[in-house]
Amino acid sequence: MDKKMLKRTRFFVSLIMLIFFFLCARLAYLQVIQYETYWSRAEKNRLRILPITAPRGEIFDRNNRQIVTNRPGFTVSLVDLGDGYSDETIASLAVLLEMEVGEIRHKIRSQYYRRWLPIRLKTDVPMQAVAEISERRMELPGVLIEVQPIRNYVYGNFAAHILGYLSEGTVAAWVEEYWQQQNYRHHIGELVGQAGLELAWEPMLRGIDGGIQVEVNSTGQAIAEFERVEPQPGHDIYLTIDIPLQLAVERALQESVERLREEGNRYAGEAAAVVLDPQSGRILAMASIPSYDPNTFHRDFPELREDRRRPLVNKAIEEHYPVGSTFKMVTALAALEEGVIGRNERVFCAGTVTRYGATKSCFRETAHGALNIVEAITKSCNIFFYEMGLRVGMDNLAHYSREFGFGSRVGLRDIFGEKKGIVASKEYKRDLYNEPWYPAETMDAAIGQSFQSFTPLQMANYVSMIANKGIHYRPYLVEKVVDSTGEVVMLAEPEILYHLEAQQSTWETIQLGMVRATLPGGTASRLAVLPVSVAGKTGTAQAAGRDSSIPSHSLFVAYAPVENAEIALSVFVKHGGTGGTTAVTVALQILEQYFQIGLNKEEADS
Amino acid sequence: MFDRRLLKNFDYVLLIITLALCFYGLVVLSSATQGLSSSDPLLYVRKQATWIGVGLAVILLVISVDYINIYRWSWYFYVLKLISLGLVLFFGRDTGGASRWIDLKIFDFQPSELAKLIVIITLARLLVDCEERRERFFSTWPFFLLLLPPTLLIFMQPDLGTALVFLVIFFGMLYMAGVPVRYMAVYTTAGLAAFPLLWSQLIHYQKMRLLVFLNPEVDPLGYGYQLMQSMIAIGSGGIRGKGLYAGTQARLQFLPEQHTDFIFSVLGEELGLLGGALLLVLYFCLIYRILKIGSYSKDSFGALICTGVATMITFQVLVNVGMTISVMPVTGLPLPFMSYGGSSMLVNMLSIGVVLNVGMRRHKIQF
Repeated sequence: MDKKMLKRTRFFVSLIMLIFFFLCARLAYLQVIQYETYWSRAEKNRLRILPITAPRGEIFDRNNRQIVTNRPGFTVSLVDLGDGYSDETIASLAVLLEMEVGEIRHKIRSQYYRRWLPIRLKTDVPMQAVAEISERRMELPGVLIEVQPIRNYVYGNFAAHILGYLSEGTVAAWVEEYWQQQNYRHHIGELVGQAGLELAWEPMLRGIDGGIQVEVNSTGQAIAEFERVEPQPGHDIYLTIDIPLQLAVERALQESVERLREEGNRYAGEAAAVVLDPQSGRILAMASIPSYDPNTFHRDFPELREDRRRPLVNKAIEEHYPVGSTFKMVTALAALEEGVIGRNERVFCAGTVTRYGATKSCFRETAHGALNIVEAITKSCNIFFYEMGLRVGMDNLAHYSREFGFGSRVGLRDIFGEKKGIVASKEYKRDLYNEPWYPAETMDAAIGQSFQSFTPLQMANYVSMIANKGIHYRPYLVEKVVDSTGEVVMLAEPEILYHLEAQQSTWETIQLGMVRATLPGGTASRLAVLPVSVAGKTGTAQAAGRDSSIPSHSLFVAYAPVENAEIALSVFVKHGGTGGTTAVTVALQILEQYFQIGLNKEEADS
Repeated sequence: MFDRRLLKNFDYVLLIITLALCFYGLVVLSSATQGLSSSDPLLYVRKQATWIGVGLAVILLVISVDYINIYRWSWYFYVLKLISLGLVLFFGRDTGGASRWIDLKIFDFQPSELAKLIVIITLARLLVDCEERRERFFSTWPFFLLLLPPTLLIFMQPDLGTALVFLVIFFGMLYMAGVPVRYMAVYTTAGLAAFPLLWSQLIHYQKMRLLVFLNPEVDPLGYGYQLMQSMIAIGSGGIRGKGLYAGTQARLQFLPEQHTDFIFSVLGEELGLLGGALLLVLYFCLIYRILKIGSYSKDSFGALICTGVATMITFQVLVNVGMTISVMPVTGLPLPFMSYGGSSMLVNMLSIGVVLNVGMRRHKIQF
């Protein structure tokens, strides 16, 4: 090694010596000169961080009515005072809070890594228990009572499937990943949205928690506050939902289900409905029966889980059902567009027909005589549409079904879980059973039987497309998101996902058939009492299986007013009997609410 | 096996100091990780001991090959390093705001650890190959060019601490290679002038850490709290400490990451000034030994490698210990041989292996 390098090495060593000397000196300063100060601080090291939960964003309906808010509630927590927790404290708390000792111990264990934070044992503790704990404060060292916001669902079990609920559990891995893309992370043990908007909009709704650095005394009371970071409230969400309409829809469904059960229909109990604005895709109401109350979800959970009607499932989007004759407009459109029937061409209905070795009949074997396509929709003639199905062929029928968005998600992103439904097709049967397709099955598929199975949301989108002549808007629930300072963070805009192009005359023909269906002589003639003109189509779908003693599903799709459609709706009542009765009655109540019909009369009555 | 005559020049003292540090680390770790795993109280100690064992095997492997081969292969290492750092950016596991790990199934590998050693090796080679370039100011650019890609990749992770380690190693080795001090003063001034640009590139949490270092009150609930707890722990340890396993701060788990980045806080609390000073003395002996081997080495390549390793260890000790006693910002640099972690342990052992290798082959073997 040359001399220069040796010189530099010496300098290097001296520099390093200096660094180590400096570190030792600093260490000595802390551990010798400052020792007393730090020792006493460590001795009573009762610096704790008390988090302040950020108020979650509130949820409003389209007219700024509060749907979900926060109210103050008492939270009981445990603060580590340095010597663990005595068995007596835990035992007394278990009694006072009506919890299991094991449950409390589990919560303590699960927060082992963050012991400088209080362990939240129970939220929304009743006033009486809080009073008792405060009285016995001296016997309960480390027990802390805080006021924290509690989620309040103003309308109880109404709109529960849209809103969702909160829970301390975990969320699905793909949701976690989706949130990560939005730079959002959620900590174990914190309340997190578990369904509906609370889940899908969690990153927006949750704010940023604040905290206070405090010094606590030997009983765990804060005696000095050092630093405080205010929480940032979450963003508020404004929905497309109209709450009075939502309430009316749920009540109508509930009443119809109850009526069916009173009549002795023990299969009834589930129903769903969706109301859309056909000019934008806004969801004005979306209901699923039975429902649950997000406020008391945890208390009710064991019961909800056992319920065979599955109250936690949003039947408007997460389930698909056979749709029966409400499907016939697809067949009609296919026939008109493929040119296999003239507008005034008549087909003769004798009540029954035998084709390809299968005898099929009209509803209750009614003989309709010779009808054109408009009359066939109005009277819901099966024989006519069997013929149409055979004329357009199965492949064309499946093609036009998909044109209406069937067999794929219609695009609702504001809550998760939308299903695709099933479009009957040769391929579907081949994949499922590895069997060939029979022409008789085409006849079934043409009237909405066979494999056809769609969600109530898909049905609403379908009738909405008929109302606006082929425009598929993305259905949406969230109109805008506003932060705590009042600034608009996100504003939704109607989005056209697809335009189904058909001849003007085709649309008009189908619409005319649907308008006549709601007039005297049509299948939905109950709606004739309304002062607004309605276009609709009933459906009575055979429940799975051939057991004729099980009531059929009752369906109805409609839009109104005919001249300039404002709402499009689909009603599904599981095992509700014929479409013309049960589902149409529900639709009548929905339309009355929307157009404010009969309200004045009620006021006059009272 | 390798030539017996090589053993004559083997520096046992360096190996013994290294093992002493590792053992010291295990003892403190056993206290720091008490109760971290309820099923197996010695889980972390056992894992760390395994890494030490693997590290010794790595040392054995490294010293059996003449380090002239390291010189020959250094550009391959360089490419390998850039690839692995690039991979982290794309496939890295995201922890605490930065992606620094690659999941190797058995353990999470941290390429930035290995990158430190490869920077040392490649820079040593470049300095040897371009000896004439050291003397003139405007011809030193290839050295900067060598450093730039890995530093940028590390910076993008973002891992400010490791990027700083690169810079310090760079200056240490340039100094030892004879680049005039006034040049380096100019480089440093230029670097400081560019700091505002750098600052604008920093991620929020990095700015926060620097600000908290300057003024702990800025973030009383986060890093400031960590610092305060660490100071209380160390200061309350006094001269003799509270005794192993008896630290109240450590017991309560008030210290964040006390088995990795903040292990020195546990040591300071439980073993006091005596324990802390002992550790620093051990480190000094280690570094002194490494520089001594460097000064005996037969070529400047070996000498420069030793300088680089010594600089790396010094800087990491300074930053890590300094962080716990609030004279350095919180950067997330581990304490060599002490902090829990496989990547860091393996790379430190590997570095010691390379130094031992230089020491063993300091004279040409006479046949």
